[in-house]
Amino acid sequence: MRIGQNPAKSIESVPQPQPVTVALVSYIPFLSGYYAQALDVLKACLTSLWESTSGPYDLLVFDNASCAEVRHYLQEAHSQGRIQYLVLSDRNVGKGGAWNFIFQAAPGETIAYADSDVLFRPGWLERSLEIIKVFPQAGMVTARPMRTPEAFYTSTLKWAREQPDVTVEEGNFLPWETYREHVLSLGTSEEQARQWYASRQDIRLTRQGVSAYVSAAHFQFTAPKAALAKFLPFEMDRPMGQVRSLDEQMNLAGYLRLTTCEALVKHLGNHLEVNDTRQEAGSARKRRISNLPPVKKALLRIYDEIFKLYHT
Amino acid sequence: MRTGANPAKAGLPAYQPQQLGIATIVYIPSQEGYFEHSLQILEYTLAGLRSSTSQPFDLLVFDNGSCPEVVTRLQTLSEQKQIEWLVLSHHNIGKAGAWNWIFAAMPNELIAYTDSDVLFRPGWLEASLQVLDAFPQAGMISAQPNLYDVMDGQGQAHRKLEGDGRYRSGEYWPRKEIIDEYCLGIGATDEIAAPFYKKPLPAVTNTQSSIQAVIGASHMQFIIPRHVARQVVPLPATMGLRRAETMSLDYKIDALGYLHLSTTEPHVFHMGNTLNERLLEQVKGVIQVAPASATAGKKPPALRRGWRRLVTRLVQSPRFNKQFVRLYNFLFQALHAEK
Repeated sequence: MRIGQNPAKSIESVPQPQPVTVALVSYIPFLSGYYAQALDVLKACLTSLWESTSGPYDLLVFDNASCAEVRHYLQEAHSQGRIQYLVLSDRNVGKGGAWNFIFQAAPGETIAYADSDVLFRPGWLERSLEIIKVFPQAGMVTARPMRTPEAFYTSTLKWAREQPDVTVEEGNFLPWETYREHVLSLGTSEEQARQWYASRQDIRLTRQGVSAYVSAAHFQFTAPKAALAKFLPFEMDRPMGQVRSLDEQMNLAGYLRLTTCEALVKHLGNHLEVNDTRQEAGSARKRRISNLPPVKKALLRIYDEIFKLYHT
Repeated sequence: MRTGANPAKAGLPAYQPQQLGIATIVYIPSQEGYFEHSLQILEYTLAGLRSSTSQPFDLLVFDNGSCPEVVTRLQTLSEQKQIEWLVLSHHNIGKAGAWNWIFAAMPNELIAYTDSDVLFRPGWLEASLQVLDAFPQAGMISAQPNLYDVMDGQGQAHRKLEGDGRYRSGEYWPRKEIIDEYCLGIGATDEIAAPFYKKPLPAVTNTQSSIQAVIGASHMQFIIPRHVARQVVPLPATMGLRRAETMSLDYKIDALGYLHLSTTEPHVFHMGNTLNERLLEQVKGVIQVAPASATAGKKPPALRRGWRRLVTRLVQSPRFNKQFVRLYNFLFQALHAEK
């Protein structure tokens, strides 16, 4: 039975949400194979976020059933007050399922989303918010320039060309090093990257003295919560591979998809860069053999089967 | 950089939520005073849910800034796969603030909310669903007759049933034992309890199925369809636990035209923050209670020492009660204020 009055009734005020919720989704089911360095990558991601984010924000981490080591690291960061909201999911609900949860629950008016393998650089949030402010139709702003298929930004281009106060420029604005940094982080070869770089151009918009490139990516973006709400819920029957629909739907709905002009975030992938050239040379030899199509196919199959054995 | 393919892209299925999701909010800032037995009572709530719920469900526990011991216990339960989604908030964002998370984010078609001090009896879900089937326009259904109308007669949605031949309005007289139990759960004084025995509750019956429900629902425990939950958020959330804020849930539901209903039998039971022998019997009827953890086995502190009896009398006297409550709240705020 209730004895006395619940002291919670005497709490006159509770902390109010910050205007921006920075949200991350982590999924590191074990610390070997593909995920051998994933905890180090997650640590690099969060450390860079804490060090490079000025201005008020709440941090929300949705852990999608990671292994004990990862959960302990996140719980420690939460207990230290470095993560305001930590969601520990007992099952992997998929990236779409995690997005459904965080995009609906995040208390901020603006949500800055990132995968858990992103390195943040100073100014990433300020510049992203500035673009959202100046381009009020903005639906997604990624904090680094990149080149993506035109099919995902037709609405952005159409809108920009109709605005008398928006300058639209086309050309090769993106420095090779900036382009290379991102494309190689996805596992693309240098040769392929050079071909792509030579074959495409950038589109730069400028309004009220603020410039942004036409493009965006779902590995990291800042978005008004109200815009994201229009596309929820996402399909969530697979762990990954269904989130690209956000890019398509944003474009179809007429929202702008933009990036900052500077590379203020970096995709880390599943391992941190090493400078050991001998190791790189050895790895290159191994890669050549394992990249032979039949070998690669067989190895991938074994790898996937082992993964399924562990995690189904 | 990325090396190799992410195995998560290998085509494995993602977890699909159950039709039913149950959510509770935990706020136990210390294990003293008002909250001395709260962790034990929370365990009874969770155990009761597991033993008395007849269909699979996902459990979400929202911890609203509890003390480290409680958070550690919840993490252990999560690791033991007793909790599907554990949300840890570093601050207490208020009950309405936590509701905003739960009602906005839970993916389940039917959401059941409960305070963390409620005992569930077998059949609670069936009885709630029976009412939902009979009254599909219900927004909130509690599994205990609602004796206290938080809307103070201001609710309008149920008036639409008047004149509808499918429903018959009427009165429901709860049995004395039901009222006794309710009053015991909330720690009602005789003065507060007396009116409950003297008046019937407004009720409505589905004439086709003969299912009767009491008009009104309680914030303590209820089911709410997801499509209703999504429409009521965000609720104002600036204070810890103020009726003005939690009642905004009722007003929104009513304004949307959804009914507040409750079952005619008590399928849940409010345990509150302490357990005496009688309440512990109720708990034992639902779950197995380890004797060592039985808090009710202890004598109330005031009876342990004579001098405390005197202080207790002083505290309870109308002259000093208010001052003591103020002192207690002051100490609570000083001890647990956000740093």
